[in-house]
Amino acid sequence: MKITLTDVVKKYGEFTAINSVNLDLNSGQMLGLVGPNGSGKTTLLKLILGILKPTIGNIQVDGQVLDPIKWKEYKGGVGYMPERVSFYDNLTGIETLKFFGQIKGGSIDNIKDVLDRLFTKEILDKKVGSYSKGMRQRLNFAQAIINDPNVLILDEPTSGLDPIGIKEFYEIISGILERKRPIIILSSHILAEIEDRVTTVGIMKDGQLQALGTLNELYKKSELPLKLYIISKSENNGIMDMLISEGVKIVMSTKNEAGAVTQTLQGVNERILHCEFHRDNKMKILSCLMERKIDIIDFIVREPSLEEVFFGLN
Amino acid sequence: MVSINAVKAIARKEFTDKLNNRWIVVISIAFTVFTIIISYFGSSVSGVTGFREMAPTIASLTSLVIYFIPILALTLGGGVIADERDRHTLDIYLASPISVSEFIAGKFIGLSISLSLPTIIGFMVSGIVLFLNITNASILSYILFIVHSIILGLIFLSISFLVSVLFYDRAKVIAFTVFAWLFFTVLYDLGLIGVLVVSKGRINVDILSILLMFNPIDIYRIMNFMSIGEYSLFLGLSSIEFPKFLNMPVLWGICMIWIVVPLTISFSLFKRKYLT
Repeated sequence: MKITLTDVVKKYGEFTAINSVNLDLNSGQMLGLVGPNGSGKTTLLKLILGILKPTIGNIQVDGQVLDPIKWKEYKGGVGYMPERVSFYDNLTGIETLKFFGQIKGGSIDNIKDVLDRLFTKEILDKKVGSYSKGMRQRLNFAQAIINDPNVLILDEPTSGLDPIGIKEFYEIISGILERKRPIIILSSHILAEIEDRVTTVGIMKDGQLQALGTLNELYKKSELPLKLYIISKSENNGIMDMLISEGVKIVMSTKNEAGAVTQTLQGVNERILHCEFHRDNKMKILSCLMERKIDIIDFIVREPSLEEVFFGLN
Repeated sequence: MVSINAVKAIARKEFTDKLNNRWIVVISIAFTVFTIIISYFGSSVSGVTGFREMAPTIASLTSLVIYFIPILALTLGGGVIADERDRHTLDIYLASPISVSEFIAGKFIGLSISLSLPTIIGFMVSGIVLFLNITNASILSYILFIVHSIILGLIFLSISFLVSVLFYDRAKVIAFTVFAWLFFTVLYDLGLIGVLVVSKGRINVDILSILLMFNPIDIYRIMNFMSIGEYSLFLGLSSIEFPKFLNMPVLWGICMIWIVVPLTISFSLFKRKYLT
């Protein structure tokens, strides 16, 4: 399956919620959509869900602009997990899932394995009114996948989940991705959480898709420096001068994080250098470090985090 | 293609909600008790108590129903969209393979059953008491009275759906529900009487009859009084002969229009509001 958004604009009167968004989504792709509140993430999700129609531009599914009948068919293969949902308190968990299964043309048989991981039978037989926030979120996720969707849209899916719940959630997602290869769009504001899990990241601001690509592409595009931490054996070994001559910017030079000399590694004084350098100099820096390896205890090269990229692009 | 399963699922859920939270039981009991009380004490102002003939009993019950059923229907359907939106379940419905008409049809059918069932139960149970105590009671008039009461409920349920779609905010829905109830039960007829007084009764009967058709409560009254055969007297319009074209089938047809039109407007407004 392929979904293509071409020059999509969504206006509410004078207000432009989505401004000229172009986006290609393919089977097996997991897009992480990030952006501040009011940046247009939810509107974009609703456009892809077929709830809203673009004011300008079009949305194509497998190369076709859909008519109302085709949209209905498309929605039969869509799963949507809203950020907050308050299910009907007087229904049990299993009744809720059966109900949404009937609405969406799915069945709990489709998600038996997932249900076994997310709930005990006792919990599923309890009224939703007695569920904790985490349980409600699990139920929300279960209803989203009840029709075994080709397009799965998850809005802040892990809010309210404990670390075990988050781990289980991503395990289930990667299982689905492997088995069915749906298009998954995951909107989140916890950037560190999605960083290692998505294949593509889209950064939204003021209704525009400000950046879109794989994490590596975004790192490159952001032109943020790589971070280098060097733990050297002694203070006056010339490493700092050599790095400066290679274009490395020394950010911090301390004995350790607390700024004090510590006796570690069999009595050797550690010196920690925190430097930044451009990605293009990576190999040159590595050769420099190799030249002076006798003076170096350890070094770490760190890519910018998604959060740094996000703020860098904003 | 219409997704019958989805319509059935939504309708069933609406009905079981009202069944589980005892709404249906409470309203059934209320209808039974009120009917028996009104039937027994309906003539107490003239110093007489006890069960009377069927015609005055239906006339008294009509006065109960015109206040009770519209407010029940308006409150039942008024929050139908606001509730789903506040729960954030509305987006799940909208992202599902069901059309707006299926969604609204499911809700309407479910709530119609929820409203009609206690009407039937309440009036049937009290009907048994009435038939045991009233000699020569007309079963047909009473059955027609129940049918008309159900139709009145459906009309106001349809209006309540329109209110629900028109107003985004729950507080506005409540305010407009109260206003709609007041308008149809009191203000409209008050306005008509005012026009008659100001025009010194010079308004043509045909025009007056047509104006009455713009208020479902007046239609309901006329239908009930037509079914008992003494409508002019009970309407306080003994000097007025209603035009011949206002017969029972025509009134039923107008009732259907009252059900279909608000529902159709709700459907298209809903599409314009949530799916554009």
